[in-house]
Amino acid sequence: MDAFYASVEQRDNPDLRGKPVAVGGSRQRGVVAAASYEARQYGVYSAMASSIAVRKCPELLFVKPRFDVYKAVSLQIRAIFADYTDLIEPLSLDEAYLDVTDATGSDRTATQLARMLKERIRQETNLTASAGVSYNKFLAKLASDYNKPDGLYVIKPHQGLDFVARLSVGQFHGIGRVTAARLNDLGIFTGLDLRQQSEAYLTQQFGKVGHHYYSIARAIDERPVTPNRARKSVGSETTFEQDLTDEPDLLAQLEPLIDDVWDYCERTAIRGRTITLKVKYSDFQQITRSRTLLSPAVNRPIIEHTITQLLQSILPVDKGIRLLGVSLSTLQPINMTPTGQLTLNW
Amino acid sequence: MKFIVSSSVLLKNLQNINGVVATNPIVPILENFLFRIDAGTLTITASDLQTTMTTQIEVEASENGSIAIPAKLLLDTLRSLPEQPVTINIDTDTFGTEILTDNGRYKLSGENPIDFPKLPTVTKTQSVEMTSDVLLSAINNTVFATSTDDLRPAMTGVFLQLSSDNTTFVATDGHRLIRYRRTDLGTPASSSIIVPRKALQLLKASLPEGVPVTAEFSQANASFTFGGNGRPTTQLICRLIDERFPDYENAIPTNNPNVMTIGRTDLLNSLKRIMIYANRTTHQIRLSLKANSLTISAEDLDYSNEANEKLLCDYDGDAMEIGFNAKLMAEMLSNISARMISLELSAPNRAGLLIPADKEENEDILMLVMPVMLNTYA
Repeated sequence: MDAFYASVEQRDNPDLRGKPVAVGGSRQRGVVAAASYEARQYGVYSAMASSIAVRKCPELLFVKPRFDVYKAVSLQIRAIFADYTDLIEPLSLDEAYLDVTDATGSDRTATQLARMLKERIRQETNLTASAGVSYNKFLAKLASDYNKPDGLYVIKPHQGLDFVARLSVGQFHGIGRVTAARLNDLGIFTGLDLRQQSEAYLTQQFGKVGHHYYSIARAIDERPVTPNRARKSVGSETTFEQDLTDEPDLLAQLEPLIDDVWDYCERTAIRGRTITLKVKYSDFQQITRSRTLLSPAVNRPIIEHTITQLLQSILPVDKGIRLLGVSLSTLQPINMTPTGQLTLNW
Repeated sequence: MKFIVSSSVLLKNLQNINGVVATNPIVPILENFLFRIDAGTLTITASDLQTTMTTQIEVEASENGSIAIPAKLLLDTLRSLPEQPVTINIDTDTFGTEILTDNGRYKLSGENPIDFPKLPTVTKTQSVEMTSDVLLSAINNTVFATSTDDLRPAMTGVFLQLSSDNTTFVATDGHRLIRYRRTDLGTPASSSIIVPRKALQLLKASLPEGVPVTAEFSQANASFTFGGNGRPTTQLICRLIDERFPDYENAIPTNNPNVMTIGRTDLLNSLKRIMIYANRTTHQIRLSLKANSLTISAEDLDYSNEANEKLLCDYDGDAMEIGFNAKLMAEMLSNISARMISLELSAPNRAGLLIPADKEENEDILMLVMPVMLNTYA
């Protein structure tokens, strides 16, 4: 979906149409969750601090996010996809991979199907979407980003290698700012540069993910489209109005985060063994501290106790803390009986 | 009253029924064997009120009579004697009993036979003839899976379902269930009873191979009679368990698309090795099934022990992981003789079925085992 949250707001509020809109908090510490295309012309992008966004675009209109509405629209879109294939792998509320191998054939190409999906989304949600069509997930994602908004781009099998060669490494899905900079330091700027590196060199430089870089530089991506990926972690975090340094203040802020995580555990009958504390300092340096328990945390006090210890391990701090996060991973369902042995039901 | 009998023959007969004698019976008289002579036939009886066993021998005797003789004293004496004819002299007024042998003379005090409980009579409603091999096989296949939980009395015995074309023996302890069916055994009218575990264990210990067995059932009792052909005639009578057996057929899952077939001893031997590394109380092991491959693994987090083995098998179901108690599973595998077995599964939280792939004639065995829910320690 194009500028998803912002587009939904503009759709539902005519006053916002044609104007630079940012969905997110306008306060000192707010962050832009989505920017309309009008706002993007000013250099406002998602994940940008609101204060910076306002500096770039003084007439920027801030709208509070309405996640219920975005979720409803997301379900609408998925329902449309489901009419054509069961192999849907959602990446977020507004993005998904679809394996349409079985949904296409002599009567319909993947490109025609993409056009149909875009049309149905426009009719049923009054929003625009961009589609990328190709022969693997990596290329399809690149293609979808290539021609936004309301775009449709196809990378055919014989074009894959050239397409990747021309891209700068920063445009690769999965290579962020930091990795791009490291690649640049190694003299690797484009997909072609990347392709000229040996697999051994890349794994030596980047570890396991080096193998992935080696493959995608050759437009090779064997990952299947996997529906219903199991959740691997659950977390909650919050950015403070003002930087905090004192233990009691920080602990008070952690309370609702632990509640969020534990609520999820209770609701889904899932327990986790690894408890992680995320800390972002005033200079945006981010660290995590985690502990893996021998057995899953079976109640809230265990999580609270562990988180408190993790927090104490980083105190005292010599700079303010702007964000704290709590997450739980190594998840598993609750055992049915203490020993796990099931009995016949009579 | 006086009779002469071979010491070894008497010993053998007593040992056959001695299992019934409880170490600390409710009624002291039950610490005795009841001897009764009628026209040269000695009938010896042992009982614990629930189960009664009798055995018969021909002896040299001039008169009829009865006496209760302390079981342990008599057995210990006979065990220590060299084989020889012994003469037993009984004073029917004082119940004093004298054993005369080549080695010497032993005197013990018996008890009044009137005090010994009467043998229950089986007013037979059903009767079935079988060979001891069939009965032994049925017992061996089921009795180990009965429950010892006295709060669930129905499960402390083996359920027998008799019908015109087959007889089904079922045992369960709640974690596993065995259904052993004979198609060469039947009764004209259908009926079902629960035979207590102890009675079956006694039968298992005393049944010789290759002899005919007559089983008779009434509402309250069952009787098994075997012997003849030069062997002493032995009868076991037991009180049946008067409870409703669980609806076991409904517990057996019918749709199990994931079927693994593997050599029984290969699987059993692997389980025995892996089990050493499993938690000592849960005996939990993990089976990971993929196309034609089975990985068995176990870990004991308390001791940082772990082990795994990979076996070839025949499997084309979905890749899946399922946990089991290795002890239960090994016990089940040890109790069948098939060369190949199938493990039929549906889901990690549903029962697994162990079924011999090569069936014996007239025999149908199904073994159900409930899984252990796995903790995923990745």
